[in-house]
Formats: sequence, C-alpha cells, structure tokens
Amino acid sequence: MFDVTGEEQYSPRGKIYLLQVMDQIEEDKELAKDFRRTLFQCTLCGKCDETCESGVDLLMIWHQQRAKAIDTAPEDFAYLDPLKEALANVKNIYGLAAEDRAIYWLDELEDEIPGLEDRVYEKGKTADNMVFLGCLMSFRGSQMDVLKSLFQTLEKLEVDYLVMGSEENCCGHPLYLTGNETGAEELREHNKKVMKDAQAKNVITCCPGCLIQLRNHHNLEGIEALHHTEFFDRLLETIPKYDQKEPLAYHDPCELHRILEITKEPRSLLDKLGVEYKEMELSCCGGGGLLRMSDPNLSDKIIELRKAREGIQNTTVLTACPSCREQLLSTNLNTKDIVELLFDALEGGGE
Amino acid sequence: MGANASMYQKLDFKKIKGVYYPKTEEEAQAAIKQAREKGFDVTPKGGGSGLSGACTGGNQKRFFISSLQMKEILAISMAGGYADVQPGATPDEVNAKLDPLGMRFWVAPSSRDVATVGGLVSTDGGGNDTWINGTMRDNMLSVNILTYEGHHLNVDKNGVKSSNAELASELNKKGMNLDDISGSHGTLGFITEIRVIIKPIRKTKTIGALIQFEDYDAMGAGILQTIDQECPVEYGEAIVMAHEDVREDLSPPLLILEFPKDFELVFCNAKVREISRKELIRLQEMRINLPKRNPNVGTQIGLFEGYGLHGDNLENMGNTISEIDAVLIEHNLIPFEKYGHAPSKWYLGDNSPAYGLVMHSREIRPEGKTGNELYRAVEDIVKKCEELNVTPKPEHKWLYSDEVKKARIQELRAVIGGSFNSFMFEPDCASETLSSMV
Repeated sequence: MFDVTGEEQYSPRGKIYLLQVMDQIEEDKELAKDFRRTLFQCTLCGKCDETCESGVDLLMIWHQQRAKAIDTAPEDFAYLDPLKEALANVKNIYGLAAEDRAIYWLDELEDEIPGLEDRVYEKGKTADNMVFLGCLMSFRGSQMDVLKSLFQTLEKLEVDYLVMGSEENCCGHPLYLTGNETGAEELREHNKKVMKDAQAKNVITCCPGCLIQLRNHHNLEGIEALHHTEFFDRLLETIPKYDQKEPLAYHDPCELHRILEITKEPRSLLDKLGVEYKEMELSCCGGGGLLRMSDPNLSDKIIELRKAREGIQNTTVLTACPSCREQLLSTNLNTKDIVELLFDALEGGGE
Repeated sequence: MGANASMYQKLDFKKIKGVYYPKTEEEAQAAIKQAREKGFDVTPKGGGSGLSGACTGGNQKRFFISSLQMKEILAISMAGGYADVQPGATPDEVNAKLDPLGMRFWVAPSSRDVATVGGLVSTDGGGNDTWINGTMRDNMLSVNILTYEGHHLNVDKNGVKSSNAELASELNKKGMNLDDISGSHGTLGFITEIRVIIKPIRKTKTIGALIQFEDYDAMGAGILQTIDQECPVEYGEAIVMAHEDVREDLSPPLLILEFPKDFELVFCNAKVREISRKELIRLQEMRINLPKRNPNVGTQIGLFEGYGLHGDNLENMGNTISEIDAVLIEHNLIPFEKYGHAPSKWYLGDNSPAYGLVMHSREIRPEGKTGNELYRAVEDIVKKCEELNVTPKPEHKWLYSDEVKKARIQELRAVIGGSFNSFMFEPDCASETLSSMV
C-alpha cells in the first residue's frame, strides 16, 4: 500500500502514528473523516505487524477502529450497505438467492462429474468431510476451473464428502472485516448447525478468508477446519509428477500465511508435484480487507505494481485463494490454484 | 505525518497545518510558497528511518513536505560517474537501476529499502561500510535545494550557484558548500535533487571472520589494530553486550568482519575464527534483528543511539561502557544490548572526519517511566559522553551536542532566511519540546 501511494499513513510506522490521531478526532471533524477513510484503505494483510518492531497489534486495532468508525459515522460507509443487506437477507455477498449457491456450478459441472448433485448437502445426509465453498467460489464463473479440479480430485481420491450448497451461509468474514461481530455470529451459527447435522469430521475450504472464520471464529466442536492444501497434503504422501510446460510462480495469500500461518502445506504439495516455481514476494494482491469495495482504484494499483515488479507476464501464477485469483485475473495474468495442478497430475498418471 | 524511528513519537497533530507530497520541484516550490504566505515553518520529510527526531518538526505550526513521491532517477552518466536522483529515491531503488549497468551507489544503511537519499544527505548517513565507502557526503557531487524564500540553490564542494546572484555571492562569501548541507537535518531548505557518485561494482573475494575478545579493552584494542592496519573492511559489526534472552550462541564482546581474502589481518589477544558465507549471512541477519527482539520480561527501548569511540578512546572502551551503564542504571534503565558498526567513519561539526566504533545502545524501560524522565537520561548520557571525550554520533544527536555545526547552520540561515525546522534552534537544544515528545 505504501509503495503504491507513497504516502506515510499507509506505512507501518505511519499507522502507529495514526493511533495518536485517534485521541484528537473527537474535536476535528475533517481529521475524523480522513482517519475513518484511512482505516478502510487497508487490505488487513498483516504485513505491518511483520515489518514493524513495535509489537503493536495493528490488525486488532484496525478491526476495532473499523467497527467504531461505522458506528460513529454510518453515512461515510453507505457503500457497504448493499453488502450488509445482502448478507442479512440472502446470506451471501452478491445478493443472489440463497438457493442459487449450488445452481451455477452444478449446471456447469454435473455432466463432467457424474453424481455431483448427490454431493450437495440436504437434511439427513452425512459425510466425513464437508466442503465449504464460500461466496466467491459458489457464484463466480471465474472460479469454475478451480471448483472443477477440487471436485474431480475429491472424486478421484474417493473422499467421503458433501458440499454445503444452499445450506451454506457466508462465513461472516466480510462483516468481521467491518468489525460487525454480531452480524458475523448470526451467519456462523447456521453453518455450525449444518456441519454438526452432517456429522462432519472436517470442513474443507479453498478460501483463506472463510478458513479464518471457520477455524478461529466458528467454535466448531469436534470438526477440524482445513484449507484444501492442508487436506490434500495430509492425504497424499506421494503424487504423480505434474507435467510442467510453463514457468510457474507461487503467490502466497496473505491470510493464508500471515494470519493462519499455513505455509508448509502448499509448498509441500508443490514439491510432491515436482514443479519448479519462483517464490513471489510475500505481499498482498490488493484484494483483501474489503479494499475492492472501499477503494477499487487503490486495489487495482496494488496488483498492477506487483505485476510490474515481479516480471510475471509470461508466467502462470499459482495461488490458493479465490480472492487472490480474482485480482490476478483482473490484471490479465495466467493463474491456477494448486488443486488444478494436483488434479492434472493425478489424472495424467504422471511418473 | 512525522513518523520516524526516533524516541520522539508524540506529536500534536493540530500544529500540522499541511502535508504535501510534491512530485516535482515546482510543486515543492508551491508548497513552500504557501507556508511562507501563512507564516508556517517547513519540515522536510523522507522515509522516516532517521533517529534524530528532526523530521518531526518539533511543536511548531508547520507544513510537512515529503519527498516520498519524488523518486525518479533522472539521469545516469557512466562516463561522469554520477546519477541525478530525486530525494525520495531509496538506495535500493537507485541501485536497482544501476545494477544492470554494473555500477553502484555505495551508501548502504541497514534501512536502505526505506531511507531516502535526501534523508541520507540531511543526516550525512551511511551504512556499516562507511569505513571503506564513507558517509553520504563522500558519495555526492552536488545538491539542489529550495530555500524558504523560494530560491533555488545548487550546492557543490566548491560553493553555491543560484539564479539569485546576490544570494549566491553572500553564501559563497560564507564559504557554504556540500559539507554544510550534509547533516543539516532539514534546517537549510528542501532538497529537490542530488547528484550521487556511482562506481563500478567491485568483485573482491572476501572471507568472513568472527573475532572474540576477552573483554572490552581487548576489543577496543582490536578495532584500533584493524584501523592501524588499514584493513579494507567490507562489512563490520561489533556486538559489545547482548541480553541472554537474545544473544543465542554468541558471547560478546565480538566483531563480525568481512574483508578481502588476500588481506592479512592480525589481531593480538583475540580468538579469530574464519566463518563460512552461510554463517556470515546468519550473523548479519542476527545483528539486524537484535533491535527487534525483546527480553522475556520487560520492554526494550532504543534510548540512545550512537556514540563514537575513536583514537585513544578505543582503549578505554571498557571504562566508557561502564560509565555510561552507570548513568543508565542511575536512571533505573537496565542495559540490554550494545552493538554497532566497526570500524566506522563519521564527521564532526567542524567537518573533520572521525574514525572508530559507532555503537548503539538499547535498554529495558521499567514500568511507569515517563517520556520526560527518559529524555533527562539522554541528556545525562550526552553530558557523560562529553566528559569522557566520546562523540555522541553526529548524524543522530548533533542537535544536542555539536555546537560547532549548530552555530554554522545558524550563520547560513541568517543569509538564506530561516523557518525550516526552526525548533532545533530553540533554547537549551529544544529540550522542552523534545522532552514532551518522548
């Protein structure tokens, strides 16, 4: 963020200074408005905590201050109202009918994956593993290739699984990012109940944002929340080699490595697949922290800067996050989720 | 605005009347004009890695003018051995452009990814290789600055040029040159362009060594031996003391050195061990991380940054450290670690070079200690340093102690016109302002 803007308030040290402004905003309306805007010009990627030696938990403070900002001046955040209403009414970020969660991808994939419809959860069905797709993967056509590889891999490995489908609520992460804990909790309660009814032992998601919610905020009892890379890495000791024909680079999603500290499993899978890849800088794609809603131009600039700095125009960027995928695609980069390589390798038979 | 690495962290934001991010000299000129019209002070600001607190601007009603969006590398002359850069470029950014050409800008502070070239001019900064590569003033040919009155000055080692011939003549009568801009801490004007010296990338085969000493005196003698033998040290760090919570397997006092493989460096009274490249890198990283580590109990603070030891004083290092630690303890601060660059070079207020060890000291701050109390501790350490004939490192602390530099800048400001970082000339070394900011 700091590299893109060249403005001090976006640097870790600048943010620490901003905390001093918090004491003064009561008296200065203009300053208060600026401060509130700055709170949402942040991807909440956690890099500040990593860079700054002060030991101040900026992420936590930003969460708290975001909540306070919305409470104090809801008029500044009218752009978030449609999101809030969609989540309250239909439990997804797009405002689409709740029952459509398992419609689009099912239409697209059921011919290629026979029996996929039976994998969609309904009351009374049980499975060891519950797949939690999240809003992006449930509704976005741009995620279809990942979804297809995920299901095909689960089928190929004969995993006992169900997909939550229309019984899935948003995980609550967007509300959590606005500091709206109450709203997030309402969404989580339903998800918990469904997973319990399905007698799931694991809940698997490809989305690090959803995983933060499932692992850290759903209070799941007896159900382990796993990123798909964790699940497959545990399951597969060896994997046929991937037939690599293109240069690859790995973009490690911030929420996955900084917040969830899942760093080994994606790389372990890539190693097992025998691929050669470049590690990209551990920086945000610009898609986190609701920045796409609060300041889409800034979000675009971040991914453009990353693209220019990394020199990856002719490289396929691997990642393991639907939100990062959207950002990478938005700047016309080739991108694949690790599970796409995994299925190709399994299907190809490999060495 | 005003974020920096010093202990002066508390700002009254109401006194900040404007923040500007010019991209060109013209935009910087316009910002200064506004400050002048409104009668506000101007504080130039770079990357914020500085330790003096000068870039906070004290407590004046002021405009900040940041160089962070003036990052262009304007020209590179291989034949002339220079590059023209805007002040907000970092050494890393300059070198990213120079590397493909086989050239390098040889000023490398540990904060080289954040520190701006303009900021390095203002602090006369350098890295742990100043012994061989010098400080910023040794690595530049000229600087363009804008004064508070809106005049453009081009300053090189021979003097000043300006479209205002009368002003240039006055300043040249005073003998103003690059030495005056170096380490002026934003008191003379806003830097808009620097012509930095670039040199080919050297390909010297080097070795790493870990040199352990019995005690501080032996270490001081060891550094003096390195200087006497004129060892072209490529990298040098001294760790004099480190808290057991952070020192891993090291037992200070010790030196980490990298120098040419064919140089025969001789130490008396020391255990010298050649170390592999991998181990050298590990030790370099460990040293960089020392300030970031906290003890298991208490909080670490960077209370006082940098005091140089040079000449005969090196042999008195043990005594010096004990005396300074005694001051710290008197103020209820617990010495935590001491590390620094060795051997190193810096400049005194009369522009003469000094050589020796530049040391950083970190302490554990007890609960309840106020900012004012910490500031008083700093004052006492500075007094103690003067008493011991130790140099409080001028790039960081000259405003407290280097009266020669301060007087020189005041002499020039009388001609140029003031109101850039005026707080630094408040009575008693801005003691009242600074103590309120800790």
